[in-house]
Amino acid sequence: MFLKYALRRVVASIPVLFGVTILAYTLIYVTAGDIVPGLELNPSIRQEDITRIRHNLGLDQPPQVQYLNWLGVGYVLKQAGAWPGEPSKGLLEGDFGTSIIDGTRVMDHIRDRLPNTLELAVTALLLGILMAIPLGVTGALRRGSRVDHFMTGLSVAGVSIPSFWLGLLLILLFSVQFKVWGLPWLPSGGAQSSYNGGDALDRAFHLLMPAVVLSFAYLAVWSRYTRSSMLEVLSQDYVRTARAKGMGVRRVTYLHALRNAVIPLVTLIGLELPGLVSGAAITEIVFSWPGIGRFALQSAIGHDYTTVMGLTTFVAVLVVFGNLLADLLYAVLDPRIRLS
Amino acid sequence: MIQPTVAEPVPADAQGPALAVKHRRAESYWRESWGRLRANRIGMFCGAVVLVLALLAVAAPLIAQYVTHYDPARQVLADTYLPPVREHLMGTDELGRDTLTRLLFGARVTLLVASVAVSLLIVVGGLVGLVAGFYGGIVEMVLMRLVDVILSVPSIYLLILLTILQPRVGPWQLTPSNPVSLAVIIALVGWGGVARLVRGEVLSVKERDFMLATRAMGAPGPRLIFVHLLPNVASVMIVAASLAVGAIILTEAALDFIGLGIQPPTASWGNMLANSQVYFFHSIYLVIFPGLAIFITVLCMNIFGNAVRDAFDPRLK
Repeated sequence: MFLKYALRRVVASIPVLFGVTILAYTLIYVTAGDIVPGLELNPSIRQEDITRIRHNLGLDQPPQVQYLNWLGVGYVLKQAGAWPGEPSKGLLEGDFGTSIIDGTRVMDHIRDRLPNTLELAVTALLLGILMAIPLGVTGALRRGSRVDHFMTGLSVAGVSIPSFWLGLLLILLFSVQFKVWGLPWLPSGGAQSSYNGGDALDRAFHLLMPAVVLSFAYLAVWSRYTRSSMLEVLSQDYVRTARAKGMGVRRVTYLHALRNAVIPLVTLIGLELPGLVSGAAITEIVFSWPGIGRFALQSAIGHDYTTVMGLTTFVAVLVVFGNLLADLLYAVLDPRIRLS
Repeated sequence: MIQPTVAEPVPADAQGPALAVKHRRAESYWRESWGRLRANRIGMFCGAVVLVLALLAVAAPLIAQYVTHYDPARQVLADTYLPPVREHLMGTDELGRDTLTRLLFGARVTLLVASVAVSLLIVVGGLVGLVAGFYGGIVEMVLMRLVDVILSVPSIYLLILLTILQPRVGPWQLTPSNPVSLAVIIALVGWGGVARLVRGEVLSVKERDFMLATRAMGAPGPRLIFVHLLPNVASVMIVAASLAVGAIILTEAALDFIGLGIQPPTASWGNMLANSQVYFFHSIYLVIFPGLAIFITVLCMNIFGNAVRDAFDPRLK
């Protein structure tokens, strides 16, 4: 049953995967696809050279051929003898293109920076979940209390505060003022990669503020979600049965109800994955965190179209896989899903 | 039927309201929703704050001329990094420009971008949702897969891509330093959620009897969509719009902040904050006031949006 469900989910995510690449490709093709016309304005370049450059870059081919080439399908078809011309390696083989500015491979940049982004995002995710669940449970158990109202307010504030402003305020307090006051202060940026031999503790100090900022908005949303999910579970029959059998409130709440109440969080996290990656990008920029988002901005400012496009495609593909993973995990945790 | 006892006979002309308490008159959906919204004091207060901010933004040139007496671009190099003082209620920046005046002019950008973006978002998202939900089949599949695709790309990357590619839409080139273009870019990235919501609502509304009746009378598709379906999903669109404004303001501020949106010297809340990053050692107020402006506006808009949702769509509460 699970296999069937899993297969269905995998198949359903294939069009989205292709859609993401088509979207990225169309954008670049429509707007900057003809990079070479700029060369025509240069009087010292001959027409045949332009033709040659266009041919070498594959720009003389129709867009659908260019797309398939970029995707790496051309390479596969070539092996089967069904492809005209010289295909390039494509996305399928992890080739996300090269920079139009300095010719470096986008995949190399991703390899350098992805661990940093993941480290930040996963820490924020864990931090958010670990704080959201107890907060949500407290809210549900003391519904209508002052604590509950306070948390409702906090959750609205959490989604309304600009993360970059929160980041700046934290830097002002913990990096600037703490140093002025002679207290132990937190660094506002300049993290060394622990993979490059950086000190793990130093790394953790650098990670603390960005992770807190990134988790803040999600903390707000997830704690509310846990609260309503918890309220729903607590009103179910099995909870009443457990109580009627004489089981203690704490035991029922934390052992039996909580388990089922947090399951829907998995779906929510899956749905918010794109937002988390976006948020991570902004946070990386504020705290000079050497991740993919900050690199994308740097490339954008340098008008490095192909790099931004490669990064966007990569991140989007990553998110589609993340979503798929969340869906499958949900089905593992909640068997009812597989049947419906 | 039990008649409630009336203490005194009421005069004929006062019977209207007195009876309304006992036999509740039929109220239209919109009147009822408006009544619910009005009863929500916090929500209405926040709505009023947003309204006042919008009015201040519209009146910014007048306020600058008659109240603050500063031009947003006027530099007084002798008065740089002032803390809040009588002449500069929110201090001055590194060029001696009045922060309050600049914030007021920044509010104009925010207001313009937010209103244009939310209108476009609702029109595009609503149209896609209506068409997809109404026609179903292959149309629905293609459109909703497109929504899936757009929603699965982290929006900031799409925004970065669009701001540097500056695509042409018809005769217009989308340069993000222009507020209207920026609004179009934000709307292009953000309509997916609205489309999903509207489609979901259409799916349930179109199964109702009145739709079948209208269809049986031979009404053509577009008429069914715009005359019969649209009014019934309008509440969802209003709710979606009021909830989207806060997110739009945050997105706009974030783009300005990272340097891809409105460019200095035009003041916007986001680029003022970006600027403050460089100068906060000189004046902490450069960080505090623009951020506070964004925070309060978005907070009030979100609380108001929640109130609108609770009033117009009690099921969603």
